Amino acid sequence: MSVESADPRDRLERGLARFERSARRAERRRKLGSGLAAAARVAPVALALLAPPLAYAKLHAGHGAERFVFVAAVLAAALVLGRGLWAGLGRSAPLAGAIELDRFHETGGRIANALAFARIPPAERSPLMSLAIEDALATVARLEPSRAVLVPVPRETPLVALLVAGLVALSLVEVRTLRTLPPPPAPKPLLMSADDVAFFRDQGDALARTANDPTEQAAVARYNRLIEDIANHRVDEHEVFRRLADIETDLGEHVESDREALEDGLQGVARELEKNPLTRKAAEALSEKRLEDAEKALRELAEKLKNKKAPPTQAELERLRGALKQASAQSHERLEAVEQRRKELAEERESLLKKKSDPAAKGDPGQKLEENKRQLEHLERQSSRAQKSAEQLSELDKELAKAADDLENALHERQKSAGEQAAEDMNQSAEDVHNLAQKQLDDAQKRELLQRLKELREVMRQQGQGGEQRKQRMERFGQQARGERPGGSGDGEQGKPGSGSLDVRLGPNRGSGIPIPGTQSGSQAATPAPGQKESDGGGDRSEAGRGYGNGHDATLAGDRSHLAGQTHDVSAAGIDSGEGTASAEVIYGAAQRGFVGKGYEQVFTEYQSVAERVLDKDEIPPGYRFYVRRYFQLIRPRE
Amino acid sequence: MSDIEQAKEDIARFQQKLGAVREEIGKVIVGQRALVDGVLTCLLAGSHALLEGVPGLGKTMLVRTLAQTLGLDFSRIQFTPDLMPADVIGTLVLDEGAQGGKVFEFRKGPVFANLVLADEINRATPKTQSALLEAMQEQRVTVGRTTHQLDAPYCVLATQNPLEMEGTYPLPEAQLDRFFYKLEVKFPSREDLHGILDRTTTGTQLEAHGVASRADILSMQALVRRVPVARHVQDYAIRVLQATHPDAEETTGLVKRYVRTGASPRGVQAMLLGAKIGALFAGRFAASIDDVKAAAPPALRHRLLMSFEGEAEGIRPDAIIAEILTTLVPAKA
Repeated sequence: MSVESADPRDRLERGLARFERSARRAERRRKLGSGLAAAARVAPVALALLAPPLAYAKLHAGHGAERFVFVAAVLAAALVLGRGLWAGLGRSAPLAGAIELDRFHETGGRIANALAFARIPPAERSPLMSLAIEDALATVARLEPSRAVLVPVPRETPLVALLVAGLVALSLVEVRTLRTLPPPPAPKPLLMSADDVAFFRDQGDALARTANDPTEQAAVARYNRLIEDIANHRVDEHEVFRRLADIETDLGEHVESDREALEDGLQGVARELEKNPLTRKAAEALSEKRLEDAEKALRELAEKLKNKKAPPTQAELERLRGALKQASAQSHERLEAVEQRRKELAEERESLLKKKSDPAAKGDPGQKLEENKRQLEHLERQSSRAQKSAEQLSELDKELAKAADDLENALHERQKSAGEQAAEDMNQSAEDVHNLAQKQLDDAQKRELLQRLKELREVMRQQGQGGEQRKQRMERFGQQARGERPGGSGDGEQGKPGSGSLDVRLGPNRGSGIPIPGTQSGSQAATPAPGQKESDGGGDRSEAGRGYGNGHDATLAGDRSHLAGQTHDVSAAGIDSGEGTASAEVIYGAAQRGFVGKGYEQVFTEYQSVAERVLDKDEIPPGYRFYVRRYFQLIRPRE
Repeated sequence: MSDIEQAKEDIARFQQKLGAVREEIGKVIVGQRALVDGVLTCLLAGSHALLEGVPGLGKTMLVRTLAQTLGLDFSRIQFTPDLMPADVIGTLVLDEGAQGGKVFEFRKGPVFANLVLADEINRATPKTQSALLEAMQEQRVTVGRTTHQLDAPYCVLATQNPLEMEGTYPLPEAQLDRFFYKLEVKFPSREDLHGILDRTTTGTQLEAHGVASRADILSMQALVRRVPVARHVQDYAIRVLQATHPDAEETTGLVKRYVRTGASPRGVQAMLLGAKIGALFAGRFAASIDDVKAAAPPALRHRLLMSFEGEAEGIRPDAIIAEILTTLVPAKA
């Protein structure tokens, strides 16, 4: 029993404050331990509850089970957390921390008693209470709350870890279940009228006949297969569009850019060759993209150079050499110029970026950077185009360069055959131009195919919007266009031409109809009866044969005619008097009889040619071009 | 002299007397420190002790030594089945008066002493037992129309043999409850036995001397009552008491299964007084939870009424109390 008799009051208060602090800290640690222990006790339950939803989600993936698992996980976490907080933040016993300190320091309850008695007003304290406080302060020197109250690892930790591992393993397990999937929805085949099918089939055949390039041939073959699949209702709308896109991709989306690059290159060569009178004609043809004329002009130049009677002078040859050299180098010079400018801009950009990152720099380089970026992008495109141009004209450039070199050598050695050598090179250049023309022709065919694909896609799109009703309407129109009477089979009465008009509506929303006078209204079913010959629509139901006989009856007297006379072939040509059937009459007749006959074909060709010329020259929106062309597709002559 | 100084002096005197008494008893009694402290606790609490142990363990010698040491009157009653209440409390005898007439005169029985050793109390009939127990509770004896006050301090130390149950009258629960502590007299250790033999089989005269007076004991008893108990300590003692009841909220499995009735409020009084005395014995000024824990077994073990199942399975009350003390968290809101 060690009590110091002369302790000042502040020492007493300081000592008690020290006890309070340590007791509170011990209490906090005790609560933390309680919270952890409580959370750990419910954690196995929470984790066990989580297992069934997880297993369910594994077995029934994709039926909202993941959300179910999420909710279960949130509930489990809330359970654990809530239990821990409830235990940790719950009301604790008075002096619980002090009691723990007493227990650890083996102070015989001195700390808790001192704190308990200190809470009693001094006037109400008994002498023994005061002595107990003093005794505690004198006896207890150092307090260690962190050691007094250990925060233990909950004993459920291995179980919790095991369960967590089990859940993780369960979540990683892939459960394969045999599920009977509902049968995939039967694709709704895309409907296209037989008339359109026939049109696109004809187009495909025509393209197949003219296709030279293997890529183009393959694309045409796929196009034809697609048309056949559409005709046989084997593909739906999505499949059609997908295959169309594939064909377009394979055909090459850069046909246009290649064409532009080639034109650029030819313009460049033409500019250089135009400076020399000998090559001016070829230059003009190249400039106007008349490659056949350019080839011809080059061959003429070759002949002129070979002409021994009036050979070109040395000066002319010298100028020709210069022009050829300039022309051969222009593609690369242009490319180099673009590259040079691009490098300059790139350096400028670097400088601007540095300036921007430097806070001490004055002014805002943001605007310049934007401008620089735009110029760089433009030059990127130009560079690409110039590179393509150089690639496409590489052979021509080589030949032109070779011609210039040969001329230079010959002029240098003052050979008499300088003109012949140059003529040979000119011929080779003409051959290259020929090849270019051929390539351009191939590209034109590709473009033609691409155009067909676009038209097909647009027709498909409209067909998809119109559905079965539109198809039936187009079927009826096709029959009429072929000169057949719309209607079913049977022995019905011959229909009579009506005064109505066939309303073919084109374009979006079917707003503007193009009336075609014809026999739409009032016509009855007009298919021939069984056993009858098919009528050609003329209304004549005669059964007279179309051949000649092979005998005669008994009423005929005398032998048959003898044709043993001398004969010779005579050809005669009719004279066009300008008094034939007028176009309007032909068109009116076509509306009644269908788009058949030579006359109609002739009128159609004339009209279509005019329409195409107008389409090429005038500025017509692309969407409208389609409808014009579609109109001519529909009224095209049928055989 | 301030109150604190006075209290300090009282405590110091208590310590000095206690040390002297312990030392003096230690001259005669070998070992049995817990038993000695238990008996002293009962004496200082102004109550009585029930000592349970086999014969020959020095119970009588302990009480006699204690009486010698404290300078108190001592009497010993050997309880037998034919012992009558009058043999215990005294009787009226017809005697010649001072004027020559015959008068009834009260002859005091052995209960009239400061320390009474009631040896094998369970061998007497309940009637005789109850005569003693009344004296213990009331600290007075009424014979005829006259009430005789027993001198303070008054302490009965009753013993009983736990083995021989044949021909005994076990004390009823109500009477057991009057004992402050039930102390178990343990068999001495080998070391202690050596000491006992050394002292008792040689020519050494073992004699204790009085080192304290009756007034000292009364003063010490008063001091015990002044020892403060903090609220949380008192609360813990109450919770321990409540936990001995099988229908209590904060109880244990053993209690629920094997205890029929828990301790009475006298149990918690004994625990708390015992804790106070324990604190003073330990040199502290206030009772602590540890003191309550130490006082709980002797204060409660004879107050637990075991169920039939508990009796049948031989469950000892000490095991139940130990479980309560282990389970019950001291710091609880």
